Amino acid sequence: MYNSLSNRRSFIKKMARLSAMAAAASMFPGIMFASEQEEGIPEGANLDWKKGPCRFCGVGCGILVGTENGKAVAVKGDPNSSVNKGLLCVKGYHQTMCIQSKDRLTHALVKKNGTYVKTPINEALDIVANKMKDTIAAHGKDSVAMYTSGQSTIPEGYVASKLMKGAIGTNNLDCNARLCMASAVAGFLTSFGADEPMGCYEDIDHADYFITWGNNMAEMHPVLFSRILEQKARRGAKIIDFATRTTRSSTASDRSILFEPQTDLAVGNAICYEIVNNGWVNKSFIEKHCNFSKGLTKMGYGLEDKYKFKDKPEKIDFDQYRIFLEDYTPEKVAKYSKVSVKDIKYLASIYGNPNKKVMSLWCMGVNQHTRGTWMNNIIYNIHLLTGKISQPGNSPFSLTGQPSACGTAREVGTFTHKLPKGVVMNPKHRELAAKIWKVPVERIPSKPTYHTTEMFRAVDRGDIKFIWTQAVNPLVSLPKTSRYRPAMEKESCFVVVSDVFPTPTSDVADVILPAAWHIEKSGLYGNSERRTQHWDKMVEGPGDTTPDAWMFIEVAKRMGFGDLFPYSKENHVEEIYNEYRQFHEGKKHGMAPLEVLKKESGAIWPYVDGKSTQWRFNAKYDPACSNDEDFHFYGKPDGKAVIWQRPYEPAPESPDSEYPFWLNTGRVIEHWHTGSMTRRIPVLHKAMPHAYVEFHPEDAKALSIRNGENIKVTSRRGSCVLPASINERGLPTKGQVFVPFFDENMLINDVTLDAFCPISKEPDFKKCAVKVEKA
Amino acid sequence: MKKRLGIISLFVLLFIAFIVIWNFSYQVGLEEGYIPIENKVSHTNIPSESGVFERAEFALEYANMPIDENHQRTLDTYYNNRAYYGAPPSIPHPIKDEKSLGGNACLQCHQNGGFVKQFDAYAPVTPHPEMVNCRQCHVAQNSNTLFKPSNLAKVHAPKVGVNNALIGTPPMIPHQIQMRENCLSCHAGPAAPKEIRVTHPERINCRQCHVPTDRVVSEITPFTRTNSNENE
Repeated sequence: MYNSLSNRRSFIKKMARLSAMAAAASMFPGIMFASEQEEGIPEGANLDWKKGPCRFCGVGCGILVGTENGKAVAVKGDPNSSVNKGLLCVKGYHQTMCIQSKDRLTHALVKKNGTYVKTPINEALDIVANKMKDTIAAHGKDSVAMYTSGQSTIPEGYVASKLMKGAIGTNNLDCNARLCMASAVAGFLTSFGADEPMGCYEDIDHADYFITWGNNMAEMHPVLFSRILEQKARRGAKIIDFATRTTRSSTASDRSILFEPQTDLAVGNAICYEIVNNGWVNKSFIEKHCNFSKGLTKMGYGLEDKYKFKDKPEKIDFDQYRIFLEDYTPEKVAKYSKVSVKDIKYLASIYGNPNKKVMSLWCMGVNQHTRGTWMNNIIYNIHLLTGKISQPGNSPFSLTGQPSACGTAREVGTFTHKLPKGVVMNPKHRELAAKIWKVPVERIPSKPTYHTTEMFRAVDRGDIKFIWTQAVNPLVSLPKTSRYRPAMEKESCFVVVSDVFPTPTSDVADVILPAAWHIEKSGLYGNSERRTQHWDKMVEGPGDTTPDAWMFIEVAKRMGFGDLFPYSKENHVEEIYNEYRQFHEGKKHGMAPLEVLKKESGAIWPYVDGKSTQWRFNAKYDPACSNDEDFHFYGKPDGKAVIWQRPYEPAPESPDSEYPFWLNTGRVIEHWHTGSMTRRIPVLHKAMPHAYVEFHPEDAKALSIRNGENIKVTSRRGSCVLPASINERGLPTKGQVFVPFFDENMLINDVTLDAFCPISKEPDFKKCAVKVEKA
Repeated sequence: MKKRLGIISLFVLLFIAFIVIWNFSYQVGLEEGYIPIENKVSHTNIPSESGVFERAEFALEYANMPIDENHQRTLDTYYNNRAYYGAPPSIPHPIKDEKSLGGNACLQCHQNGGFVKQFDAYAPVTPHPEMVNCRQCHVAQNSNTLFKPSNLAKVHAPKVGVNNALIGTPPMIPHQIQMRENCLSCHAGPAAPKEIRVTHPERINCRQCHVPTDRVVSEITPFTRTNSNENE
């Protein structure tokens, strides 16, 4: 099936020939066709192909970038990458086009008397270092903060963490992955005690059913979706789309089931109820490998500043869990979830059938949820109750949004509570970090400080006096930017922005640092299936552009921490990675050595004895299992996974008479997050030039709204004007509107609510109440 | 006597069992025969999104189909059959019954295609078989003469092979896709013009890689940063 694509090599030939043929065609119309096109074409242009991971989503496709005369001129899928086997998506194919953009940030800009002045990079870094030092001297360590990204490379995340936690000694480090997969992490840690999926993408080749939970894979994880479609065509595998909005993925699925926002919690529990009630529980599996627990409920939603929450887990037994589930019979749940009893039973019967392999897939629908951790737990409950886990094809698979949300944010740990191994609260983990970093252990503070939302609230309150953002655009991507934009504009906080392009965030910066793009530096990313991928610098960046890791190191040196960052400019990526690897040594998280990563298209950790571990916790595949059983959930001290009793609780804000619509936000296939890169790619901008507000046709009719008409979407926080979209890209359920957030000229996050999951601190961008009117 | 009684009762039992089983299977048969009146579509159709998957069930067949080089259409014949680029094609063959409507006539050949001996050609597949009043848009060609000559200049259709944004990237979609959402109907199978026949029909989610570029509906102006501090 992949023939045509492993033929991509000849595609280049074809291209060259085609342009020749286009000329020929005018003379000999109608003579072009595939077989003739293959002949007589010299081996393609003098392109130099170098491998790397794609710059965009968490799928982590392997790409080959063709360079000619020092410019990136072509991109193709890497046929050797087992992730994508030579295929990419619209964003992937055109990614390098953005770096030639005319408004590229090529030099440092320093704000002087209200205007930006082009400044040599060394001077700008002096200013940043001095400002950071002075702020610490005047207001203490916790007055400076750094906000990084799931798009930072592994070395970038590592030096950021070392600088903040090891050198300066503050936990004021968080990243945009908090907005993206913090709930997934909290779900993994509470259920298994070990982060990241147990399975891998190869599960797709084995599963009989794919159940997507609030996940539009056809647009957000298109290459993985194409692998699923292939299994559907070849083996008759079935796709069931469980969502609040009809999308391209729904139309490709065998069945689309729509639910009322927030009720996924109840439907998940109803599936568990059916599994328990029909005797579909894998008894020997749960006896040997599972514990039951419950946590606190009615946790609140984090809407107030300085909100604190700590869960109190309490062990329960199976009978207590069974009684708890009685509130979630399909009949009861159907009433408020708007999912029919039949559909709930249908979903349960798929999970309950011992002869079918099921893969659950989810991303932002489950993670960006005020009960996101619970929702992750509930999906694991379903898989644990039926024993459908850690085996090829039986896989609860938490998809990641960003290219290195796993590799950098989660594994290096660029969160306030994290260290490269473990958490700051654990003295052993602090000792290990102190040893490898060669810093006194007392310097690493034991208390987490600000998670993302709270960090920007602290900026607003004036508690944070200096913030440095890198590869991130919070003033488009944060919830309730209507509060955080004025906060960042305040004089009380000095803002440093490292980026490749100007963004609404760089617009409020005091210093703008010009960053090197992806292929203009070397680096490593880690994708959703625990695959670490390395790439070498392919082209020179323009002007003063500098790799982010090197900017951190330069500032660290200027602040007097030079001895902690003894890396060389040419080789810092390798040196940092080799240092970082020491954190994860062992069978549970060993990372592949650099030589392997340079040669191969990525390797999956735990990398043990020269082999990737594809299925963790399964003794057949995972050498870290040590309990002489088939499965060993070694993340937990007693080797058992936890089935959590997690109830349904309503959303913090639901539609009412004043604000009668749900607002859901999300992405589109053409654009990457806040669009700062993809909107500078002409093909993608032409295909999706601006955001829109999507209506259900009946709602549109009732309000007599026509397609394209400008509509003002207003919440209690702010408003945003966008053209209406009816029956186009997607179809929200009645009473719901959907807006993509990529458009910096139509900032829908001025409207969204900054409520978050109390356990994971991840905001919910998918649910708040709005009203709509013609603008 | 006992033996006979035993045999008789055995037969009686068997007969009863037969009646019961026959009855049961009859009832089951009845149930299957009953088609409940309910909306079977599990999702609302979004034409621009679902169309692309519509002939997906044939994708593997298309991929494996040998190419009949003697009966290929070319883009030239494809465009010659249209009044202008983007117009509905006219009907290039005689029509049997003037009063017929799609389902009984045109769709017999044009729903799924196939070789038509009479015309020595493969029937092109319609991307919109749900619209059965074919001749609302597709006209017959009954004369070669003009009523009056016209100054109409045919707009040239986009060329094949020059639609890539970068070397080797998947070509963009140069045409509007309204009513042509189903890519495979024109770009795969024996009736597909040879220049635009896709080499990988099994990929089905075409718009994963191919971006539409012809957006006549909304005028695209250069993106301007409304709140920027353009300064340099």
